[in-house]
Amino acid sequence: MPDESLLDLAEYISEKLEKHVISHEFIHGELIINANAENIVQVLQFLRDARECTFTTLCDICGVDYFGKPIRFEIVYSLLSLRQNIRARVKIAVNEGQIVPSVTDLFSSALWYEREAWDMYGVLFSGNPDLRRILTDYGFEGYPLRKDFPLTGHVELRYDEEQRRVVYEPVHLTQDYRDFDFLSPWEGMTDVQLAGNDKNEHQQHGYRGVKEELPEEQEEGEEHHASEE
Amino acid sequence: MGRDKKIIEAPPYGYEKDIDPLSPAIKQNVVPAAISKTLNEKGILLTSADKLFDWARTGSMWPMTFSLSCCAIEMMHAYMSRYDLDRFGITPKPSPRQSDVLIVAGTLTNKMAPALRRIYDQMPEPKWVISMGSCANSGGLYHYSYSVVRGCDRIVPVDIYIPGCPPTAEALIYGLMQLKKKIQREDTRLAR
Amino acid sequence: MRLKSRPDTPDIVVSEETQIKPYTMNFGPQHPAMHGAMRLVLEMKGEIVERADPHIGLLHRGTEKLIEHKTYTQAMPYFDRLDYVAPMNQEHAFALAIEKLLGITAPMRAQYIRVMFCEIGRILNHILNVTTFALDIGAITTSSWGFEEREKGMEFYERVSGARMHANYFRPGGVACDLPEGLTNDVLQWCEDLPEFLGDLETLLTDNRIFKQRTVDIGIISAEDAQDRGFSGPMLRASGLAWDLRKSQPYDVYEEMDFDIPIGKTGDCYARYLVRMAEMYESIKIIKQAIEKMPDGLVRVNDYKITPPPRTEIKNSMEAMIHHFKLFSEGYHVPEGETYTTVEAPKGEFGVYLVSDGTNKPYRCHIRAPGFAHLQALDHMSKGHILADIVAIIGSMDIVFGEIDR
Repeated sequence: MPDESLLDLAEYISEKLEKHVISHEFIHGELIINANAENIVQVLQFLRDARECTFTTLCDICGVDYFGKPIRFEIVYSLLSLRQNIRARVKIAVNEGQIVPSVTDLFSSALWYEREAWDMYGVLFSGNPDLRRILTDYGFEGYPLRKDFPLTGHVELRYDEEQRRVVYEPVHLTQDYRDFDFLSPWEGMTDVQLAGNDKNEHQQHGYRGVKEELPEEQEEGEEHHASEE
Repeated sequence: MGRDKKIIEAPPYGYEKDIDPLSPAIKQNVVPAAISKTLNEKGILLTSADKLFDWARTGSMWPMTFSLSCCAIEMMHAYMSRYDLDRFGITPKPSPRQSDVLIVAGTLTNKMAPALRRIYDQMPEPKWVISMGSCANSGGLYHYSYSVVRGCDRIVPVDIYIPGCPPTAEALIYGLMQLKKKIQREDTRLAR
Repeated sequence: MRLKSRPDTPDIVVSEETQIKPYTMNFGPQHPAMHGAMRLVLEMKGEIVERADPHIGLLHRGTEKLIEHKTYTQAMPYFDRLDYVAPMNQEHAFALAIEKLLGITAPMRAQYIRVMFCEIGRILNHILNVTTFALDIGAITTSSWGFEEREKGMEFYERVSGARMHANYFRPGGVACDLPEGLTNDVLQWCEDLPEFLGDLETLLTDNRIFKQRTVDIGIISAEDAQDRGFSGPMLRASGLAWDLRKSQPYDVYEEMDFDIPIGKTGDCYARYLVRMAEMYESIKIIKQAIEKMPDGLVRVNDYKITPPPRTEIKNSMEAMIHHFKLFSEGYHVPEGETYTTVEAPKGEFGVYLVSDGTNKPYRCHIRAPGFAHLQALDHMSKGHILADIVAIIGSMDIVFGEIDR
């Protein structure tokens, strides 16, 4: 249970920022504020400057890709107040192609975090003075942490003797990544559509190699063990 | 159990007979053994210039510190007081132009690969490459990642692979000794 | 414009047409003074740096993406390889995050063991940082001395987990296995011998004129600036702010430990060096207390749905066998939820933002590395300094690219 001061603070914030804040919740004792993407600058400015909540440190900005939800991405701002010793998170839901105002004017640490969110997810931040890729390779195409980007990527690198430079080639793995899907009832039969199960869409985890052909007895054996529990 | 239990005796091991109880590794040193044998018997040594240069080269292999990630820490430990590499004549050199071994220690990413190749090209002949750790051997724990080169031998030709994650400092020393023996065997005199 | 070089030489007259253009220079991806793989593009006017633009990502291995495809047990080794000089502190954050989502707490003995190894890791990290910082500046002896102490510390890692560096020892629910006999005595012995070594280090460095000239008033950052830029750990404390997660948001048994937090006054490289030296003495105190107060008992939560059963039981009981099989093939399912858990890593605030969707694999695991925020401020901290100072600033920021690039 979150303590009194945190509850009071949450009430205060929701009251003052009625137009901008959608809701607030407590998960595992941590305060989470859901806000509108357009007004994130006002929200964070209030959180930083108001006397009751002096969140002067922006610890982290990260993105999450909820593949399958109506609004796909979520940008999470983690804040810390040294004076009051509390943490808070502000989450905004962002569509593909939507532009989020940057908070670099408020917090100088936001610069590289927003660059990383752009690099990994493709979420544009308007007002960021230096929005270019930060972690991925110089000519990289694609946004790696999206759920539909394969784990092994699209290209790989090697050195070519004739051209005397490194070249990019399509990925060719000698052994594919063995991805065991424990959620489907019949393990291994991930591409078979069971009758009456039309709505069961698989959550794409990324790169799926050659389908594992598990022998029939193994599946039954595991099933047997699972039911024993 | 009722079965006839015969006590099977192991054949006598090496040092029960009249054999010098040396550990196997020393027996691998064929070249120094042959040299000292000749010197003791005849007093002079007749050899080709190539072999002499090889001997001099292996006595002071100067690696270039190409430290990328965690293996670099173990490499630093190998250079420092406990597992001193300087007693083998191996001193780290920060510049590729003055080194003859390149120890690729750590994960090689796509972004870093052109830099590695450039450093390798800047090294003067003869040069050797040691791939240290499983990330450099094959991509290691990050083999299936989108931004990792699956083994530095896609970029540079490798002579010795040292497995481990990270290989202990002792393993690195063992690898360097193996490279020394490989050079003395003339196994590396390929068209480079 | 007249440039005076020395009193007895004639003045050099530079006419108005001669301009000093800014010169863009590349400070490696590979450089002996660089702590790993970073490409620093410097715009310099003469010897003075106008702008420093670090290009990171040369060690970007895709850790976060790989973690999304592995079970929680399989994802633990990735955390070792983030900050590879004090590996166990990173595992600690991940273990605490999973424990929060699962709603379990580690038993007391496990918590004391964790605290002890965290502090050993802190000492290892600070020894490496101080000695390589001195190495970059030019003092070579200290690293030879320091690494011998590090070897002893890594020996403890090896005795308890089997690996000198990447231990994979902290698990959600406690630690992987109990301490071997005699380890606490050896750790105590090491703690007795450490102050002598630290005293030697201080004799060499603290009052050294050259060291002081290279580090005092270099890379000054004020307290407000540090907060604004997301600093944490010794960087923040050197600027005067008394903020330590072990005291303000304690986790495991840090509440019961009696230790002080060293605070710096000036916020320059010298202050950071002093803060780290003092922290090592405090860590020794904590280790001694942890060993003294360590109770007997379990080292891992007794729930076989999370902890694998002991091997003797596996050979006797069917349920234990099934639990073991399920744990190592499928892994445990973590209930839905999210958390942002932080620990006081030796470099600063190391955070793990873990989102779980109820399955056996993490849905999103974002790693908040302290070095990322510190390196971002390099441009601001290096304005007006000369090239040699950049090396000192980077050294004092305690940068390790494993955690920045992930």
